[in-house]
Amino acid sequence: MKNLLIYKDVNFFYQTKNDEIFALKKINFEIEEECFASLVGPSGCGKTTILSLTAGLLKPTSGKIIFDESEQIDTKKIGYMFQKDHLFEWRSVWKNITLGLEIQKPTDREKKIALAEELLKKYDLFSFKDKKPRSLSGGMRQRVALIRTLVLEPKLLLLDEPFSALDYQTRLSVCDDVHEIIKKEKKTALLVTHDIAESLTMSDKIIVLSSRPATVKEEIVPNLCGKTPFEKREDNASFSPLFEKIWRLLSNEEKQTT
Amino acid sequence: MKKNKQPNFSKAHRDYVKKLKKDKFFIIFFRIFILVAFLGLWELLTYFKVVDPFFISSPSRIVLQIVELCKNGTLLTHTWVTLYETLIGFTIATVIGYVVAIALWCNEKLRKILEPYIVVLNSLPKIALGPIIILWVGAGTSAIVVMCVLICVIITTMSMMSAFLSVEEGKILLLKSMHANKFQILFKLVLPNSMPEFISVLKINVGMSWVGSIMGEYLTSKAGLGYLIVYGGQIFRIDLVMASTIILCILAFGMYYIVSLLEKKFSSFRGKS
Repeated sequence: MKNLLIYKDVNFFYQTKNDEIFALKKINFEIEEECFASLVGPSGCGKTTILSLTAGLLKPTSGKIIFDESEQIDTKKIGYMFQKDHLFEWRSVWKNITLGLEIQKPTDREKKIALAEELLKKYDLFSFKDKKPRSLSGGMRQRVALIRTLVLEPKLLLLDEPFSALDYQTRLSVCDDVHEIIKKEKKTALLVTHDIAESLTMSDKIIVLSSRPATVKEEIVPNLCGKTPFEKREDNASFSPLFEKIWRLLSNEEKQTT
Repeated sequence: MKKNKQPNFSKAHRDYVKKLKKDKFFIIFFRIFILVAFLGLWELLTYFKVVDPFFISSPSRIVLQIVELCKNGTLLTHTWVTLYETLIGFTIATVIGYVVAIALWCNEKLRKILEPYIVVLNSLPKIALGPIIILWVGAGTSAIVVMCVLICVIITTMSMMSAFLSVEEGKILLLKSMHANKFQILFKLVLPNSMPEFISVLKINVGMSWVGSIMGEYLTSKAGLGYLIVYGGQIFRIDLVMASTIILCILAFGMYYIVSLLEKKFSSFRGKS
């Protein structure tokens, strides 16, 4: 498969009034189409910065970001999912899902409306279509947020710790749901997470970052047995050593900074 | 209260509901009791001339006064004049305040430039501008409306602006990631998100616009409830002053009530999140 997203020697500085923060240093990685990649790293190392750069919300100080074979990032092909679901309480579930369509007014609107309906039905939310988000559980809200992103048919999904606001039980099941949806819809995804187990079980490729200025320390391909992220947790033979490896990489980083 | 019809609740639940009802009854009872006791005491004290009704009037005299004002039609005229001024002032102030707040939200530099001026204008007692207003727009209704607008408009702008600015950064980022322009962010997110604050601004403005119109009428007027109050005070007819004040209370409450109906409609605008 061809590479959908390529980072080539990307450097990034944050400007503040009193300081210039060196956030990313010579970041290099590739993500193939239909690959589920994760970014892990010590907190504050610049994981979210990479998502913002990819989404075109920030511009790299130097280096190249090539998305879909172009240096001019077509951000309409990128969907962003946040830590919080950010559903609009005054809109019904349906109106929340079609928010992106209202904003972008795509030419193939009819098709996307049909897709929205299909996704709602597929993921058991159709009966909540006209309800307000408040009547949904945390897991359902996160699924609505995912569908809202998918309706715009992005090629690449950026997930910024989308499960961290959920309680642990919900988190495990929503992980499975989201993973399944993304795989079924054949999307490429880039996930930022603190949770090593989550990154191991969800992704095809893990990019481990160092502390600031962040560089790519290592790329890990987990290859765990099992269909769903939850089942993959059972694959003890591979899971535990990998978990330990990433944990060591990260804790070494944290030691160096303190 | 539909739930009460279900028969299979435990005794503890029935007791709990009973207690809730009892508490509610207690509150309503004492609300009414205070009013009745106050009016009764007032009436008795003046009836037996413990205090002179010439200075503090009495409930019965106020009622007679209102009936008399109704009969000769002056009540309706004066009430209408004040209500008209208040509603016009309220509407103009709310619209201008809201629009200015939107403009300031849209333009950060403009906001920062104007900030000190807004703060000064807000802390200035508007009544001090009375003579200037009369000189500029002339005495009468227009001066009263201007006074009313001045009192409400700054607080509207300030409250709405801080409501606009308190929108969660993440929600704006979400819209930006969907390629929304500033206009769309304003209409899809910022304005609906600030509806609860808008309702509380309306509530504040209900009170403030009455202050404005009555103050305006104190300054310059030939009719209106404020005029009646001043006039009654000057000729020592405390019944007239009291009667006008009571009418004013009823009107202000009515307007507040209408706004609170709106509030219920928009209460669902922001959930837990």
